[in-house]
Amino acid sequence: MRGNFEYVHTRSIGEATRHLADAEGHAAILAGGTDLLVNVRNGLTTPALLVDIKGIEALGRLEVSENDRTAVIGASVPLNRIAEDAAIRRLFPALSEAALSIATYQLRNRATLVGNLCNASPASDSLPPLLVLGAQIYVHGEEGERVIPLRAFCTDVKQTCLRADEIVTEVRIPQLQDGARTGFIKQQRIRGHDLAVVNVAGAFLPGDKMLKIAIGSCGPTPVLLEPIDLGSHSPETLAEEAVRSAKAAVSPISDVRASATYRSAVLPVLIRRLIARLLDAKGGA
Amino acid sequence: MHTVSFRVNSEPQTVSVPAATTLLELLRDRLHLTGTKEGCGVGECGACTVLLDGAPVTACLVLAVEADGHDVRTIEGEATGGELSALQQAFIDAGAIQCGFCTPGMIMSARALLTRSPNPSDEEIIEAIAGNLCRCTGYEAVVAAIRNASRQLTREAPALLADDEQTKAEKASGEP
Repeated sequence: MRGNFEYVHTRSIGEATRHLADAEGHAAILAGGTDLLVNVRNGLTTPALLVDIKGIEALGRLEVSENDRTAVIGASVPLNRIAEDAAIRRLFPALSEAALSIATYQLRNRATLVGNLCNASPASDSLPPLLVLGAQIYVHGEEGERVIPLRAFCTDVKQTCLRADEIVTEVRIPQLQDGARTGFIKQQRIRGHDLAVVNVAGAFLPGDKMLKIAIGSCGPTPVLLEPIDLGSHSPETLAEEAVRSAKAAVSPISDVRASATYRSAVLPVLIRRLIARLLDAKGGA
Repeated sequence: MHTVSFRVNSEPQTVSVPAATTLLELLRDRLHLTGTKEGCGVGECGACTVLLDGAPVTACLVLAVEADGHDVRTIEGEATGGELSALQQAFIDAGAIQCGFCTPGMIMSARALLTRSPNPSDEEIIEAIAGNLCRCTGYEAVVAAIRNASRQLTREAPALLADDEQTKAEKASGEP
């Protein structure tokens, strides 16, 4: 294929960050490669070095604790492992539904959740569910480790706060309270492989008396709305409050997938549909 | 240059490749296994689907160096001793081939599906081949072929025959 890059297979996080630091911004991390190799092929990015992190054992871990209701997802865990994990389906259905909606079976065997986050697409399907779940990003660089709340991770279209020597090692989902329900809805042009026209994720948190909603494909980065207080709303006014808050927070544009007008029109529909699902205990959203 | 040692259809292979060589280019241009096709080259069409350690992947988006130490299975690994696999024969019997360009990828996706789920529902079959585009629009026959192969492999021969009759009837009624 087109591209004049070198490749290195790394076996430790330190080895990977050293290669990244030495390359001074001219290296790219290769996990699934399903975005990176397309961009290299199309000449959109011209890295001098690809740093393969799939040989780093620690990054392949996927640990879900049903007792603590938490999860740790390593940087090289492919989306199919997440979509097919029974514990994630039970505890965090918003995340498994989103993972399953991304691309195709073949691509999900390579594409990673962390890669989807780091790609920072406005239309990312994994960002909205992880935003409502309050996920935290664990990052390693030459200067050590830092933890970034996901809501501060994406800074603009396809931009993150990662430095050139840093790699995301894992994503952690903090303890989800008992009785919480989460869900994800994606509007796309066709049922198969397509990016979101609009996507929404929600977390109904009865313990905190709170509803969290995050929206994708309606701004430069996915948007996490201010939590909505369940105590001050009836089920009917709850959805209308979420729609009002969403309209104030988003800035949809027209592109190849949909017009801004269509996005603005479909967003309230998706929010109402999602909230109805989350409030319906029988639905098991 | 990088040395890649891997197994292709159970045969050990060692080749030297530049970093930018894809697994698809290695299979087709170096090992002359041209059954795997290049359609879009960007992971959209599934024509280059191969099994990497048993999991279907698009070979256009895997670097050859990434296959080092792994096991690759291509359409050439389906037939044994000149005999088509039951899955390949089911595609022929169901008329699931028109131009044939998508067929190797379809069969590799179907092979992986039948390995992980020997009795898939039609819904599962459709999900499994959602990443394999057919521009002759022969999906109905492809789904029937995979369903038939599943039944044959799980030894439900009468159902297989009945389904073949149904497929023939559909074709006779002008199904494209």
